[in-house]
Amino acid sequence: MKRMKRFSLSMVLALVTLAFFCTGAWAEQVTIGFTGPLSGPGSGYGRDNLNGLKMAVQDVNEQGGITIDGTNYTFEMQSYDDMIDPSAAVNNARRLRSREGARVIFNPVFNTIAPLMEINEQKGSEFLMMAYSSTPKIDELDNDLTASIPPPFTAYVKAFSDIAWEKGWRKAAMVVTLGAYGDEWREAFRHHWESLGGEVTADKPANYYTETDFSSQISAALATDPDFLLIGGPSEPTGLVIEQARNLGFEGGFILVDQAKMDYIADVVFDGDLSLMNNVIGIAQVLDVPSPAVKDFNKRYEEQFEVHNTFEAMLNYSALNIVFDAMEEAGTVTDPAAIKAAMSKVLPQNAENVPTPYLGMLETKLLVPATAGVIEDGEYAKAYQYLWWPEDEEALEKYKEMAPSGIENRWLPLDGYTTD
Amino acid sequence: MFTKPIHTKLLYLAILAAALLLPWYVPDAYIFQIVTMSVLYAIAASGMNLILGFTGQVTLAHGAFFGMGAYGVAIMTKAGIVFWLALPVSALIAAFIGLLIGLPTLRTRGAYFAIVTLCFGVIVWIVSGNWIELTGGHNGIFGIPRPSPIPVPFFGQIEFFTQTGMYYLALAVLLLVLFALYRLVYSVFGLTFMAVRNNEPLADSVGINTYATKLVSFVAGCFIAGLAGGMYAAMMGAVSPSAAGYMLTFNFLIFVILGGMATLPGPVVGAFAIPVLMEFMQFLDDYRMLIFGALLIMVIIYFPMGLVGGLRRLNQKVAAWRQQKFPESDHASR
Amino acid sequence: MDLFLQQVFNGIMFGSTYAIVALGLTLVMGILNIPNFAHGHLYMLGGYLLFFFASTIGLGYWLGMIVSVAAMGVVGVIMERIVYRPLNDQPHINAFIAAVGSLLFLESFALVVWGSQGLRIPNPHPQIIEIMGITMSIQRLLVIFGAIALILGLHLFMKKTILGITIEAVAQNREGAMLTGINVNRVSSMTFAISAGTAAVAASLLTPIFMLSPSMGAILGMKAFVIVILGGMGSIPGAIFGGFLLGLIEALGGGYISAAYKDVFAFGALILILSIKPTGLFGQKEV
Repeated sequence: MKRMKRFSLSMVLALVTLAFFCTGAWAEQVTIGFTGPLSGPGSGYGRDNLNGLKMAVQDVNEQGGITIDGTNYTFEMQSYDDMIDPSAAVNNARRLRSREGARVIFNPVFNTIAPLMEINEQKGSEFLMMAYSSTPKIDELDNDLTASIPPPFTAYVKAFSDIAWEKGWRKAAMVVTLGAYGDEWREAFRHHWESLGGEVTADKPANYYTETDFSSQISAALATDPDFLLIGGPSEPTGLVIEQARNLGFEGGFILVDQAKMDYIADVVFDGDLSLMNNVIGIAQVLDVPSPAVKDFNKRYEEQFEVHNTFEAMLNYSALNIVFDAMEEAGTVTDPAAIKAAMSKVLPQNAENVPTPYLGMLETKLLVPATAGVIEDGEYAKAYQYLWWPEDEEALEKYKEMAPSGIENRWLPLDGYTTD
Repeated sequence: MFTKPIHTKLLYLAILAAALLLPWYVPDAYIFQIVTMSVLYAIAASGMNLILGFTGQVTLAHGAFFGMGAYGVAIMTKAGIVFWLALPVSALIAAFIGLLIGLPTLRTRGAYFAIVTLCFGVIVWIVSGNWIELTGGHNGIFGIPRPSPIPVPFFGQIEFFTQTGMYYLALAVLLLVLFALYRLVYSVFGLTFMAVRNNEPLADSVGINTYATKLVSFVAGCFIAGLAGGMYAAMMGAVSPSAAGYMLTFNFLIFVILGGMATLPGPVVGAFAIPVLMEFMQFLDDYRMLIFGALLIMVIIYFPMGLVGGLRRLNQKVAAWRQQKFPESDHASR
Repeated sequence: MDLFLQQVFNGIMFGSTYAIVALGLTLVMGILNIPNFAHGHLYMLGGYLLFFFASTIGLGYWLGMIVSVAAMGVVGVIMERIVYRPLNDQPHINAFIAAVGSLLFLESFALVVWGSQGLRIPNPHPQIIEIMGITMSIQRLLVIFGAIALILGLHLFMKKTILGITIEAVAQNREGAMLTGINVNRVSSMTFAISAGTAAVAASLLTPIFMLSPSMGAILGMKAFVIVILGGMGSIPGAIFGGFLLGLIEALGGGYISAAYKDVFAFGALILILSIKPTGLFGQKEV
């Protein structure tokens, strides 16, 4: 016993000493910061985001970094875990900013983005907040040093409803995840679906992060005899919901909220088998994105990280490339305001270089089409690209030109986001 | 019995001076942030220590009361009430709800009380995420205004837009809370707390109303948690259900136990040592929680009385050793 | 009516898992007085070990299950020896902190070894049957019958074998048992092995229906705690009854009233019950 005590004590000491040696910072590179959930619930999502960023940094360095006024800059990705705890996120951002000099910080959860937006404009410690959050609430916080990466989720609400309506579905029942994102989705979907003339027969949310059995909610929802179920949260539990609903005898369709990815579910939960997933509408499979860069990105991504590729990774990858270009355009790697201002000048992105090219910028919002897909008859049947910001036909044509081709384009103006 | 040797007093004075002068030598905004948050956590943990350490009731709802303070300030200041009124009112609300919950649950003992309070904590956490009209749901409340400046004659005014302002505010509250706890715990009334902790049936038989004693301690602890939560809201500018979560309770618990239960400096030491350690271990990436978990187990095995308890024991040993070695010099110093 | 029966079935299925998970915990809490808050994480680890033995090594479901249960028994013994035995003479709250440390350790261990992407064990019995308008899959029925078999087996073990009787003796009077020459440390090890083993059984039955994730044990562990307290610490009938009660409250409350607040019903019921009966439903009155 005594020997064990001594042994473990010396282990602790050794660890602490080792730790002291490892913390020395070096390299004159430009640091790109990330804080997000890397452990606990939501860690899969956080890692998807981070992986895309890592890949972008790796690629730009391989091409020799960027050059401003004859000086060459390479990049370094620095990430910290915040477990969706606001105070940890603020600590991490402070650390990234004042210790590692990061002027651009990514975060993927609104709960932690909101407190970061309280400090990113403080004099002397400004940083550009790259927010991967599709909630319109970001716009309520008046903040000039923010750019939001994904399309607003309302674009998906409208796009998926559009396809479902076309298919003749009318009665919806909802078994969506609890949480900020799910709550907003449910509300927005109900509002939109009822305005189309559809009916919402049941609303039985479940916590996708903590539960694994959804049969009581699904049974209650199915008892109202709906045409389809609106489901979704993280992809894995969403797959379980599909399976459990099918096991309860449900033969109708599904709409997946945009957090859940149909190809991820098919590959990870059902091992590539699409038989349970007939009549699923959701965000398109990554390979249906029309840009030429996708296939190569997909292959490299899955080889390197050994996880399924997702839109989170691709959008973050593309967004970080905007930052690199904007730094070059602005001629600075340290002034967040100048970098932000230069962003709109480097858009649209070239579909040869990034998997999901951004086409423009509107205040804090980076503009990228919402891509929707349908599974029918055991295969990925259709995919559409929804342009949600053009105000009129003319603007639509302009952006259609810019958007990667090879996919059906649809126009779906969203209130509060239109631009020409 | 409670008088301290002179060098301990000197140590406390030195720490106080260091704390007051902190903004002049703190190296960067990151360290400043950690220290300020630690001051806040120290307040909340001291409140928990009153219930847990001095009265012996294992409450696992402390994060919930912290959250009530945070949401109270968030809701009231967003409605236009000044922070300086919203803060005490929120803490009073937390204390009042603590009273309502304490009345039935303090009938239970030991592990039963721990789990009842844990359940209450989880309920508050769930409600804070789902009562959208009041709490903003899982998105929470954001854009919370900073405390309004305090005018000081001949000096201008104290602003709270900077880290410095918030730090001094938190520090002032911490000192106030510690002072109040010091007076309370070492009073005759405070002794009844410890009597209840050490032997409840015995305390009962010598005429102490143990139920009322536990209730007073619980409500006071909840009030302190509410104070800390209220300042958290103003400092972060955004409140979400994690500010009322049970993980927060576990953090406070770890601060109190590892710092040193039933000592006044213990929770403060814990609230500084643990977050600093956690930040320091960030470079371990995926292995951070793995190693932190193992460390937690080892520390609790080797320092069952917490860091402060361990130091005191060490101090005693040194004193005993000295006495043995130089018996006359010890005499002389008296 | 169909819906009601379906919900009752769902409740019973979940209740039976709650019951066996809580059973393992009540042994440890009641007999050894150890608040093992990491019990849910033992369940999680059991699931991953099943994945490892059944899928990675390729032993198949049933053989993999036996090996993983045995392996978890060993994990239980190690945990008792390293984490809890040194804390024997310290206040319970210290053991609680050690439990929090263990759960952090186990969760990040799974994260480091198996990654954050959900893993799946192929369902060995995916067939669906329908009885009286209730749809059920064979694996779900297996969960219920497996739980009943485990409960009966454990009962027989405690009543009919020497080791079981020894464990009960320690539970009733630790010092007395020591005086009669019972090796209390050995009993502690065995109890932990059984406790971790039952968690692995629960995980083995359930994971083919669900998916593995490092954080899947957290909420289950907390619920098991609630059930143990609800039933009364150390009470086996209490754990079984509490498990089924919680399963039914959740299924019916979640299905009929509000899914968002279903845990509030369950936890609120506990506060109410303990306010009336402070030592749990089946608990002995404290001295």
